[in-house]
Amino acid sequence: MSRTKSRVDRRTFLKTATAASGAALATPLIASKAFAFNKPIELVHWSWLAASDGEVWAQMIDSFNQAHEGQGIQIKMELVPEEQYTTKVLTATATGQAPDFGWGTAGKGAQLARDGVTVPLDALIRDSGLDLADFTDSSVKAARYPKYGDEMYMVPMDLMSLQPEVNVDHVLEAGLDPDAFPTTGEELVKWGQAMTKFDGDNVSRSGILMTGSGVQPTVTWGIVAEQMGFQRASDDLKTAAVNPEAGIAAMEWVLALFDEYRVSTRDVTDRYKAFGTGNGSIFWTGPWTLNGYVKQGVNFRTYEMPNIGGTQRTYFEMGGLEFYKQQDEERYAATMEAVKWLSDNSFLWTTVGRGAAPRRSILDRPDYKTTGHPWDIRGAFVDGMKIATIPEIPVVAGPEFTIYSGGNFLASTLENVWAKQKSPAEAMEQLAARWQKGLDEG
Amino acid sequence: MAEARQIDMPDHVSARLNMGETVRIDRIGYAFVAFFTIPFLLFNIMPVLFGGYIAFTEWSIIGAPQWVGLDNFREALHDEWVINAFKNVLFYGLIIVPGVSICGLLAALFVNQRWPLSSIARTFFFAPYVVSATVIGLIWVWLLDTQYGLINHYLSYLGISHIKWLTSTEWSLVGVSIASIWWDTGLAFILFLAALQDIPKDLIEAARVDGANKVQRLFFIILPLMRPVISMVVTLQLISTLRIFSQVYVMTNGGPAGSSASPIHYIYQAAIVRNTFGYASAVAIILFILIVLITVLLRLVVRERA
Repeated sequence: MSRTKSRVDRRTFLKTATAASGAALATPLIASKAFAFNKPIELVHWSWLAASDGEVWAQMIDSFNQAHEGQGIQIKMELVPEEQYTTKVLTATATGQAPDFGWGTAGKGAQLARDGVTVPLDALIRDSGLDLADFTDSSVKAARYPKYGDEMYMVPMDLMSLQPEVNVDHVLEAGLDPDAFPTTGEELVKWGQAMTKFDGDNVSRSGILMTGSGVQPTVTWGIVAEQMGFQRASDDLKTAAVNPEAGIAAMEWVLALFDEYRVSTRDVTDRYKAFGTGNGSIFWTGPWTLNGYVKQGVNFRTYEMPNIGGTQRTYFEMGGLEFYKQQDEERYAATMEAVKWLSDNSFLWTTVGRGAAPRRSILDRPDYKTTGHPWDIRGAFVDGMKIATIPEIPVVAGPEFTIYSGGNFLASTLENVWAKQKSPAEAMEQLAARWQKGLDEG
Repeated sequence: MAEARQIDMPDHVSARLNMGETVRIDRIGYAFVAFFTIPFLLFNIMPVLFGGYIAFTEWSIIGAPQWVGLDNFREALHDEWVINAFKNVLFYGLIIVPGVSICGLLAALFVNQRWPLSSIARTFFFAPYVVSATVIGLIWVWLLDTQYGLINHYLSYLGISHIKWLTSTEWSLVGVSIASIWWDTGLAFILFLAALQDIPKDLIEAARVDGANKVQRLFFIILPLMRPVISMVVTLQLISTLRIFSQVYVMTNGGPAGSSASPIHYIYQAAIVRNTFGYASAVAIILFILIVLITVLLRLVVRERA
């Protein structure tokens, strides 16, 4: 072949290259369409569990996939940052690309339910044969949204209450008895004072671990306020800030931890790290921390939340799996089959993973207390569920009500109180106004 | 050639054509430009226009935006958290912009001396800039820890103890600014160094022969010649500071009590955490207007007169 004949001019080259690129790009699309119907169903699952509990959840998904190998159904799990989770679900749903199911927190998804992003599950649960009578009453109630047909919008997977974890080394060092954890607010403060250490005039080790802003003081206030009789919303979800005096008194109690009892410092920036490194003695937190602290070798025990305000109560979150709107509604049944399997086989998740089981058949198993971490560090999170009666507020403005937040309106408002830039009464007035607006809007 | 054609041309082009030259419009050029233009229109211009539209609506991704007119702007201008974030960013500007400019200039003057090991110093000064802001933030959270941070540890030898860099409303903004200055100095340094190396040696030499000492050479020869670069560094740094986010998010999350929050942090909270995209867009537009105003003002104040 002569050199002249083989020469390709620029225009021909570009045309050929464009055609070749187009063909290359189109091939996977054509191929995927052709083979789509021969493939097994792959359910897309979004999860934000990225800490040690995430490893256990990944095991659960792997177990499902192994158990269903060659049976035409598999789960593909994708990690999504928790803070961006709702936004990404909304975006994916708006573009028809929503995952089949994902992790949700009961009471925080009213907006998703209202906008039809999450799928009501009563009929699907009934058809799948998932036995709702096996679930605790509180878990089924928490999965419903009274304002949106009172249907279940998630399948409960675990119940996580906030209970005090206590550094046993500090307890012994202070000459206290680890078997006699405080049951009242006064006793708790005494324990805190016995374990607090100072560097000059500054608290260098918090007897009661707190931060100057963010989640820890907010949730502490929320628990103590509800113990004192405060309600963020009335039972009928019509009136905000019931018994505000109790809410104000709870703010003053939190402030006293810093300034009067001197058992806490505002200087802690990372509460998890502080407890793990021995810079805090009593730390109320959730069961998601257990795996990490056990691996870290922290010598700690867990107790039930004391009665600080008059009624022994604590906050709880319920984790569950919610279904997202699909263009192909036939996928719901397959998703329910998968979620039913995960729920039926959630023994590992609710012993080693996190939280207490919402299913009676699991709670009643003789090996439930002996599996996973020792009962003295896990037991309070299971037995303590009986006092875990502070739920989320299941309205669209629910995220503004949650006491387990470091960045919502509640936390931001209270930060001004902790920083002494606003009085408790002023903060309560602002909270009541904003919350009432949220309730009025539905 | 099919693609080539004669079109109306300016006079100087027509003159060339009259001299026998031809001008060919090759449309394939548009195809090459399209590789940049189309994504730019789709992913930059369209979102900006859409953001401008939703600022006048209430919208949370699902469903059609509800037109609310100027309500979002009214609410933003009365929102104490927005006002606080804008106040904070002005303070950030007052600390970070002079801090970065002075540190960058001093570092550039030092390296420009070409003393032994100056190439290592050059790398040392520029290195923080190539590290991501998130990593910088995480490192400085440790360094500035009130109880166990290295900074407080060394300050204690000077009799200064327990500064609450990130945990008090008085200091949090300063703590974040220190990390930002350390991070941003690299860019200012490299720009200043380039400008310094551009100054003709004979000018400096002439000044020296005329009896000007080092300080006089700096203030009467070097700095005036660097005016355009100083103006550019200050402008770039100011815009960068008005958009401060990563350090705030990682180091303090805007707290305590909003004392270190910035407008972009607030916009992130409003949009991504609370899903109030219309309101977040309104705050973003207010920030955009502020950036334009300040930039124009700054250019008028420190404009080059060369």
